[in-house]
Amino acid sequence: MKLDILNALDSSSLLKEFNANSSKSIAASALAKIKVPNKKTEKYRYFDIEPLVSKDWKLCEVKEQNVEASGKKIVIENGALLNSGDIDGVSVELAEFSDIDAEHFDGLYFLSHLMAAKAIVIRCSKDCSFEIEHIYTSNECLINYRVVILVDANTHCQVSDSFKGEAKGSFILSGYDIFVSRDASLKFVKTHTLNSANYTPIFTSRYKVDSNANLKLSSFDFAFDNGLNIFRVELKESANIDASHLLYATENSKYGIVSEIVHEGKSSTSSQIAKSILDKKARGIFDALIRVQNSAKWTKAHQNSKSVLLNSGAYMASKPQLEIYIDDLEASHGSTTGQLDEKQLFYLQSRGIAKDDAKKMLILAFAHEIIATVDDEYLANKIYAQFEQAYYGTYELDCMKTCNSCEESVLGIDQ
Amino acid sequence: MSKVLEIKDLKAKIGDKDILKGLNLDLEEGKVHAIMGPNGAGKSTLSKAIVGHYDVNVTDGEIIYKGKNIVDEEPEERALDGIFLSFQNPVEIPGVNNAYFLRTAVNARRKHLGLPELNAAEFLREMKALVTELGMKPELINRSLNEGFSGGEKKRNEILQMMMLEPDVIILDEIDSGLDIDALRAVSEGINKMKDGKRSFLVITHYSRILDYIKPDYIHVLKNGQIVHTGGSELVEQLEKEGYSSFEEK
Ligand SMILES: Nc1ncnc2c1ncn2[C@@H]1O[C@H](COP(=O)(O)OP(=O)(O)OP(=O)(O)O)[C@@H](O)[C@H]1O
Ligand SMILES: [Mg+2]
Repeated sequence: MKLDILNALDSSSLLKEFNANSSKSIAASALAKIKVPNKKTEKYRYFDIEPLVSKDWKLCEVKEQNVEASGKKIVIENGALLNSGDIDGVSVELAEFSDIDAEHFDGLYFLSHLMAAKAIVIRCSKDCSFEIEHIYTSNECLINYRVVILVDANTHCQVSDSFKGEAKGSFILSGYDIFVSRDASLKFVKTHTLNSANYTPIFTSRYKVDSNANLKLSSFDFAFDNGLNIFRVELKESANIDASHLLYATENSKYGIVSEIVHEGKSSTSSQIAKSILDKKARGIFDALIRVQNSAKWTKAHQNSKSVLLNSGAYMASKPQLEIYIDDLEASHGSTTGQLDEKQLFYLQSRGIAKDDAKKMLILAFAHEIIATVDDEYLANKIYAQFEQAYYGTYELDCMKTCNSCEESVLGIDQ
Repeated sequence: MSKVLEIKDLKAKIGDKDILKGLNLDLEEGKVHAIMGPNGAGKSTLSKAIVGHYDVNVTDGEIIYKGKNIVDEEPEERALDGIFLSFQNPVEIPGVNNAYFLRTAVNARRKHLGLPELNAAEFLREMKALVTELGMKPELINRSLNEGFSGGEKKRNEILQMMMLEPDVIILDEIDSGLDIDALRAVSEGINKMKDGKRSFLVITHYSRILDYIKPDYIHVLKNGQIVHTGGSELVEQLEKEGYSSFEEK
């Protein structure tokens, strides 16, 4: 199946094409309007979308199968639920899902919903912490699936999103619809190493943060190949999002984030920080818009992107944007791209640290600010390990880099 | 008396500006040399030239250290061989843990000397003892390197590094600037403790006070990119009285 030919169809033909019932009509009419993206689509301007939408894909069938229910991990393999986990307060089911974001800017978001007859719906009704693991093993196919997370009112959860497996030549089209209900909070931590000559992921998501709710989104992407994370956030009254993104991209990877954060409710707050480390011929993408609607008085919106280029062939497309329809707010944004600081590098060298090691130290330090936003120490250490694995090729366990508990025990520092 | 460091007719530029203009200076083993001179004379430039700072372009002359010309050596090679500079303005490095940085440096030097590396516990025990000696706040070693340190804390941190790295030639660029009385005493005691009859010191300063503590063997006057006068500690008094104008450029 070629995706770009869908652009010839109107919404009812789209529904027919995917055997979808009327619950998908929002997706169908939105897609008929904003279309499957091509190289002229603005939101895809820094990414190579053409090969993905023009290729004749074999669809990877999502089989309904016996689902295990054990452990603290929800496992999804090639889009099919494999293990729903056994997590107190968390229910997982396959269900038709129609509450999609009609205002989304991304055609693939709607296409993905249209193609997925059912979504994996995860409901958190008690405070909880668990992992969602995505495994990909099918080569040369289009793997499409949707995951929904509902965090009930006044519930506080942490989700760690992880990835495994090899699916050479495949296109992963997926994403989350996350609803953080009133007074609830969700810490969502995504860690993804994408090796070269594997699959191409496009995750296209929507996050709805209800009044007084809080979403902390941390993404750690270590990319040797192409991929895109697309998301749209709606913030209701006094809702807050803290988004931090760390990207390390190398080889010929084109990788990054295209996002929109929309302040709908008054006194909502957003902060979005991206740090990108680009090596070889990689292109990093941070194409991020924060829109403050006229209904959103007294909001705060801060956005910042910092990039380090380690090679003259690397490039950062950093486009933080603020679109503001009121005056009564506090907002800022900024973007810097540069090399490693010469003075800092020299200081380390002048103490006998070889230049390459000094560079590694500074890179790790640059990443540190983002990794340190993960307050779960176990998870933070795992992310360090995964980053170092991607960046150095090896990982050397040295607790002094990240934590100071051994120092505390040796030194007896307890103030 | 054997010379550890011989600077011969050194000429150096920063950008396209000539800063060092044929500077000659020998450091003797086990001795304390002080350099005094007006602002902008080239004192920091000289210290940067010795450690191989990228700002300084040596155009002529030699820096002979332990018998070989090091002008083309990388900064880390000079450091591993035992040259240490305490910077006038140490740089802040957010995200690099102070203790982790120093252990990496210490172990690089130990490895270079053929000594076994220190594990975290051994290292921290040693470091902790020095931190106490220098009157540093213990929490500073868990912070990011120099980030948000006060001026005096940065200087003490330089001295901590010096004591841990046990270099052979120690260059202190205005280590005394911005130190309170207690810090000056602690830092001077740290420096004096490092004197072992072999190690040499090059102390750049504007004030006689630190020299009261660390008792220089020689005073050199650096003016307009050259050493214009060398004498004993009696020179300090003369300089305090008359300033630099009585010392003519060559
Ligand atoms: N990075 C630089 N770019 C341009 N000029 C420089 C640079 N660094 C030093 N200089 C110039 O070189 C000259 C010597 O500077 P240097 O820092 O060596 O002086 P100094 O003797 O250490 O002075 P002070 O006592 O004020 O520390 C000065 O005129 C200074 O402005
Ligand atoms: Mg100076």
